[in-house]
Amino acid sequence: MIKVRKSIHPCATDTWESIAARELAATPLDEGVASLQSWNLHVFSRAPAAADSPRAGNPILPSDLVFLEPPLSAQ
Amino acid sequence: MDIVIRNGNIVDGSGRPAYIGDIGISAGRINQVGHVSGHGATEIDATGKTVSPGFIDPHTHFDAQLLWDGAAKPAIEHGVTTIVPGNCSLSLAPLKAADRMKLVGMFNQIEEMPLVAFEQGVTWNWETFDEFVGRIQQDLTINVAPLVGHSVLRLWVMGQAATERTATATETAEMQSLLRQCLDAGAIGLSTSFVDMDEKLQPVPSRYADHAELDALCAVLAEYNRILQVVHEFYDIDLTIGRIDQLAELSLKHKITTTLSPLFINRGDFEGVDRVIARIVEQNAAGARVWPQVQTRPIDISFSFAVPSLLFIRLRGWYRVMRFGTPATIMAAFQDETQRQQLVQEATSMMPLWSALILRQVETEANQQYVGKTLAEIAELRGTDALNAMIDLSLEESLDAHFISADMGHNDDDKVGSMLRHPHVMIGASDGGAHILSFSTYGDTGYLLGHFVRDKQLLSMEEAIKKITSDTADIWAIPDRGLLKSGYIADITIFDANTIDRGPEYYVQDVPGDGHRYVRDAIGVETVIIGGAVAYDHLQGYSDEHRGQVIGAPQR
Repeated sequence: MIKVRKSIHPCATDTWESIAARELAATPLDEGVASLQSWNLHVFSRAPAAADSPRAGNPILPSDLVFLEPPLSAQ
Repeated sequence: MDIVIRNGNIVDGSGRPAYIGDIGISAGRINQVGHVSGHGATEIDATGKTVSPGFIDPHTHFDAQLLWDGAAKPAIEHGVTTIVPGNCSLSLAPLKAADRMKLVGMFNQIEEMPLVAFEQGVTWNWETFDEFVGRIQQDLTINVAPLVGHSVLRLWVMGQAATERTATATETAEMQSLLRQCLDAGAIGLSTSFVDMDEKLQPVPSRYADHAELDALCAVLAEYNRILQVVHEFYDIDLTIGRIDQLAELSLKHKITTTLSPLFINRGDFEGVDRVIARIVEQNAAGARVWPQVQTRPIDISFSFAVPSLLFIRLRGWYRVMRFGTPATIMAAFQDETQRQQLVQEATSMMPLWSALILRQVETEANQQYVGKTLAEIAELRGTDALNAMIDLSLEESLDAHFISADMGHNDDDKVGSMLRHPHVMIGASDGGAHILSFSTYGDTGYLLGHFVRDKQLLSMEEAIKKITSDTADIWAIPDRGLLKSGYIADITIFDANTIDRGPEYYVQDVPGDGHRYVRDAIGVETVIIGGAVAYDHLQGYSDEHRGQVIGAPQR
């Protein structure tokens, strides 16, 4: 079996903080959020939803794949 | 018999060795293969020619073009007899009247179909999928196996909220019901997108769907044994593998076929491509059906500054000028010293790219001397740099200077060839009818059979034909097509294996509203039969026969 980066499909209301709290529970929240953002540049680099959106300020889309570990080359 | 094809080299689509024989056709179907003793009302001498099933193109965006051109020109001329439009979450139905301009904007942004083509080429007289099928069936020459787009399902059910949030349980159930109506009306499956942006450069509606919504829609596909197509984050290997796993999960749970496109094979990342294929093989060995689509042609992008180009999508300043400007404001930006300096500064780091661009077409006599030269060569002749040469030429040509960035990737013959013949790879992803202002999406089959089969000998003719006929028909559950076999529908392509190819790319004005597109003519394709009638002959052009069908649609 090839090695595959661990990932999740976010919940509808997920934020960086909620994912970090749930999936990286053993890591301090700030550190977990920073790690998630660095592992998911395809999401982090995206403009967040507009202020008048129900998802205001959140760049995470419900269809995203969110990695829970760094790229294999960095492991 | 209506037609008898005599003495052709029959490559029947099964992958078995070619043989010399005849094919008899009557009432739209093949009724004899081998020796045909009776005479046909039309006799075609195929001596020295190859006779194969018509080619099936599984990834196109001919949706809009079919409204003014039921032949999807020039697809048939290249031997293609069946196309799959509606990919990447975008179809033109079901579509409420109130949402038309929203969808037109998405087609314009994502597929580069000019707005004026919709204004002048489309009579909007449908809303439901069934009505759309009825609309395109009126003058159909090519066969169409249409996907229904996830984004338009969301728009229909959720309106503005489609681009804001996940669906409620009630809305998901409504989408399921709507999908059933589309499948009943002839949709061959569902398409979705994880990457595309709309006309406001915001994510398309399908990207606001969570996995549960996609899962619910796949449950409906399972009821009909239909396929799911996705366009994924093809620029990233780990994301591609993540999507393969997601599709495998859906495939195994619902026992459906899935396909993702495109899979590009670029130098410097062969190891990544090998990981993708290894994952596909693992998942399919476990019982999933996940088919990556690999295109045959190398990536090249043509452009002029008269229209927005994909090449500039990562240069925010340039893209803004092109995307939201008019020819007059674009020229003004180039002429204004301050703006020009800003644009040049933004693009200077990509000088190797600009230097390698080739000037391919101009209008003025004075600049003809530069056609065929790289911008580096032209810059040297003019005493400037490549970037400024590009701007100067564009101004001198009133933006009608055309450049090509050739061989940008997907161009290692051995590696691409090995992928094209891989048993877990589908040949596709042509994007036919899309990106008409950036490159020609026509002629990929000619390139396959000319370049990879004849010239490079990386696939046999039998392998290649099987890939683009019966394999594609099997994967997409297209019945009675893809083989030269008694009882099958007579979709047949006759070509010269010694010459078949795609012609050079050129810019032509044949889109409604005086619009342009890049196209390639076919080389070596002689006769194309669709539904038992000659649809195209290389000497006589298109016939008046309109035997194309919407595959899966009820008889009307």
